[in-house]
Amino acid sequence: MLEVRDLHVRFSQAHILQGVSLSVGMRPLAILGRNGMGKTTLCQAIMGLVATSEGAITLGGERLNGLPPYRIARRGIALVPQGRRTFPSLSVDEHLRLVAVRGARWTVERVYQTFPRLAERRGNGGTELSGGEQQMLAIARALLMNPKLVIMDEPSEGLAPVIVDHLIEVLRALPADGMGVLLVEQNLRVATEVAEEVALMVTGRIAATMPAARLAEDQGLQRRYLGVAAGGH
Amino acid sequence: MDLAATIVLNGLTLAALYFIVASGFSLIFGLMRVVNMAHGAMYLLAGYVGYSVFEPLYDSDVWYAWYAGLAAGVAFAAVFGAAVQLALLGWMQGQELRQALVTIGLSIIVADQLLASYGGTPRQFFAPDAIFGSTQVPWVGGYPTFRLVQIGIALAVGVGLWLLLNRTKLGMMIRAGVDDRQMLGACGVNVPLVGVAVFALGAALAGLGGIIGATAQPLAMGADGRFLLISLVVVIVGGMGSIIGTALGAVLIGLAEQIGQAMFPTYSVILTFVIMVAVLALRPQGILGRA
Repeated sequence: MLEVRDLHVRFSQAHILQGVSLSVGMRPLAILGRNGMGKTTLCQAIMGLVATSEGAITLGGERLNGLPPYRIARRGIALVPQGRRTFPSLSVDEHLRLVAVRGARWTVERVYQTFPRLAERRGNGGTELSGGEQQMLAIARALLMNPKLVIMDEPSEGLAPVIVDHLIEVLRALPADGMGVLLVEQNLRVATEVAEEVALMVTGRIAATMPAARLAEDQGLQRRYLGVAAGGH
Repeated sequence: MDLAATIVLNGLTLAALYFIVASGFSLIFGLMRVVNMAHGAMYLLAGYVGYSVFEPLYDSDVWYAWYAGLAAGVAFAAVFGAAVQLALLGWMQGQELRQALVTIGLSIIVADQLLASYGGTPRQFFAPDAIFGSTQVPWVGGYPTFRLVQIGIALAVGVGLWLLLNRTKLGMMIRAGVDDRQMLGACGVNVPLVGVAVFALGAALAGLGGIIGATAQPLAMGADGRFLLISLVVVIVGGMGSIIGTALGAVLIGLAEQIGQAMFPTYSVILTFVIMVAVLALRPQGILGRA
């Protein structure tokens, strides 16, 4: 579905993405890597939020790079950005109505059923929510666009463990809806429980791709690519 | 007592006009981050275009002359504003200095073209009979009806803008765009198109102000600079991008001008700038502006 081929992104002197290639089909893919490896830049490049200098991004064979973000969104990609980026001036309900499409698989009613907490806070402003609620709102906003592929940039960041469990549950149910998932994470458990396949990112490249189960079991790999066992991030 | 009431009422009618014009300026700045230095030119342009529709109709004595002039001026300003955004400013999104310079250039061109085609003679609209003449106001006595209507129009503009921003989908898009323009685009909203709509609306408000202003007092060259300056002062005092803040700023500046002219005419010009300096020193984001 989503194909990224030899993608490069440069910010003046800094060469952030140095030839990323990956493909996401119906099976969820997680990208793991330490801070500063280019994971967020990759998400933004796919969404059209940063300019790419070389390479191609295609969705179902149609080229995406060079299109403005709203056209990429309309082609079927939704982003749950790092830091959530909900709109402080909009209430929960307004967030949902802003993007909702009538008669689609995900409707405002279904969002409220899936996230009862959002239904309780439908009149509250975007800044009056807890971190977990804001994350649910950012995810709901993306799902309501009924995308072919949803990109999530560190959705578990800063969430309490019990909320992370709910998040994993929601994400695991998405493929059954026919939605592709590209998950960027630092949290190894979230990545390996949601995705069947993981890609490891090191200094702007995909260093290795493997089944999620293999990474979950191999502490040597975790240490090498994520520095998990060494206690760092 | 009577004098005080008259001064306050004068201040409020002036504030009403300032609010109509400045709310358009504030709206454009809020979403687009464009300091539209051609806002005054749009005021002037709408005034003259409206007048050239009004005059022949008025001469042939039809009752709708003023309304036709109003509609023509506002519509022309809206189309002009949309065209400016589409043809010029859309290409330099985020380059604030360049946009400011382009709109300054535009306002000079517009003013000179208007001078060339209409000359320097002041023009004035005559309000239709229904809102012409005078009305008895307690403590003040007879007061020009049109100036009271002016307050009514300003209130209608304020309520209308509030409803637009808080009760419509376009309003949601505008507010979300003020918060995070990039993310709004990522939600599938054609942000440049919303920008054109906002620009048209902001310019239409400048145009509405132009017609109202040219009915209350003669329209002449120089009104563009004056109303641009007023708009800047009002939104700096009230807070950029806030409708209620703009209303508050307009009332403060309108009252200050009238009180100043009544009590110390020689120095009254300074008073509005004293208020602006005080606000900038104590609360740089404006009275109701977000930091």
